[in-house]
Amino acid sequence: MSSTRVARHAVRSIVLAAVAATVAFTAVAQTAKDATSFSPGRLWDGKTPDFRGIWQARGSAYVNLEGHPGEKGIAASASIIVDPPDGKIPYRPEALARRDENYRARGTADPALKCYQAGVPRATYLGTPLQILQSPGNFAIAYQDNHAFRVFHTDDRPHFDAADWWMGDTRYRWEGDTLIADVVALTDQLWLDQAGNFHSTEFHVVERYRMTGPDALEYEARIEDPVVYSRPWTLRAVLQRVKQRGARIIEDECLDDENGVRHHVSPYDPRNLLKTDYSRWKKP
Amino acid sequence: MKLTRTVDWRVVLGLGAAFLAGTGPLNPASAQPAPAAPSASNAALPRLPDGHPDLQGLWLKSGGGFQGLFIGSLEGTNFAAGGGRGGGPPTPQYEYTPGAAAERAYRQQHGYEDPEGRCHLPGVPRALDQPAGLYPVQIVQDENYVALLHEAMHDVRIIPTDNSKHPRNYSAWSGDSRGRWEGDTFVVDVSNFNGRTWLDMAGNFVDENEHVLERFSLTDPNTILYEATVTDPTVFVKPVAFRFTLKRVPAAQQILEYSCLEGERSRQHFTEEDGGTKRRVVR
Repeated sequence: MSSTRVARHAVRSIVLAAVAATVAFTAVAQTAKDATSFSPGRLWDGKTPDFRGIWQARGSAYVNLEGHPGEKGIAASASIIVDPPDGKIPYRPEALARRDENYRARGTADPALKCYQAGVPRATYLGTPLQILQSPGNFAIAYQDNHAFRVFHTDDRPHFDAADWWMGDTRYRWEGDTLIADVVALTDQLWLDQAGNFHSTEFHVVERYRMTGPDALEYEARIEDPVVYSRPWTLRAVLQRVKQRGARIIEDECLDDENGVRHHVSPYDPRNLLKTDYSRWKKP
Repeated sequence: MKLTRTVDWRVVLGLGAAFLAGTGPLNPASAQPAPAAPSASNAALPRLPDGHPDLQGLWLKSGGGFQGLFIGSLEGTNFAAGGGRGGGPPTPQYEYTPGAAAERAYRQQHGYEDPEGRCHLPGVPRALDQPAGLYPVQIVQDENYVALLHEAMHDVRIIPTDNSKHPRNYSAWSGDSRGRWEGDTFVVDVSNFNGRTWLDMAGNFVDENEHVLERFSLTDPNTILYEATVTDPTVFVKPVAFRFTLKRVPAAQQILEYSCLEGERSRQHFTEEDGGTKRRVVR
């Protein structure tokens, strides 16, 4: 066990070094140290790192965490799994069979198609924006997708782990300028992406949020689930700040069509507006 | 003590403890929205560095009132208006236009069409006007916004404090909220509704012309007075006033999750489709 951990840390160090080298070569204006030591602004307590703002993951990892070749209208994506190094989720054999089954049925079986909340960590890399709400002692994330939100609780009290939730129970602490969140109590009905990757109720996520620049928030999720995976694994995504003036997350609600199938209908879509049928009012 | 109909709300708030103990029916018609009166007690309110009252925390609607659940059968008994044990907030007084009255009667008999029963967002002010004591709201605040995170329906309203303009061609279940501070009161103008929400389970409703003015006043460190005035010229003859208090939830408790759609099991009992294109006749 401990040798595995050492090996994993070694791999991570190599990856980090590679990232740092890339940044140093490509971003001339930045100093070489920035990828690991960016210092975010502070809240008005002068202490708490300020992660407030609207953030959005770029890329299409939401299609398949393990990477995919792309399809019409969707760019290809490399695996965002940084550990193990092969970029594959270390499934137990029987679980892998179920994942493949999910994959074949993904056109109808993905819970996201029913406008359910996306869960953790999936809500983070959906490609729809999220807003970090923060004040000294408070941290919450409002996700645009299906108006899900999470209130982060400090870790001085134990988890509320008596239910299977869709957005889990989150306890967090600051480690320097990195927010580390421990998430449990997630239902096994969630998927991790559109490709059928899944977990059981033994799912446990440790998230790390860290600003690597004024407009970049690095998100890392270390995932373990002894029922489904043979070892813990880690994914990493980068969220970019949405900087458009007046930008906000908008309401995301679904409506049923005549066949009972739910569709996201934007508030900017005229179909969302139900103009009153006043003729009906005249005949009681 | 007995409160008269010509009660001055600022006096009532000064006697908050007596009010909360539920001392008698209060007539909302006589209670004009009063600006948060500067008083000595305001100095003791928690504040953010920008000087505005700190509304943050976990809050729960207090008092009686049952979101119109009983009003269909008990209308006129003043039950929810404080006649019940422990008192409660005043019942909103609806005066419908003639056409809307018929529509309301129809909806009262077809309560299963209530979109909240299908896990849709409740709208405003229903998001806050949930059954007392059941679903709390978490407030997170900074100099730019007051965010309301409602447990019920995991409904989120991130309200800017800059009194900015409502967007065009935007219509939403929760409308569009723009806030401003008027002294120590947070005033929110809510517009751009999509005409789909009901106000309660008893068929009281609004249409796409709804407009709400909300007032959040921290009256002591553990109490928010919530007032909402709903206008809708096609539905109501005169504005409808809502008024109740939110009490701070002890720090030992936390907001829970309200997954609705994810566990929805009752649509098969619905005989008409609401919000869809198809509308079948009830048999």
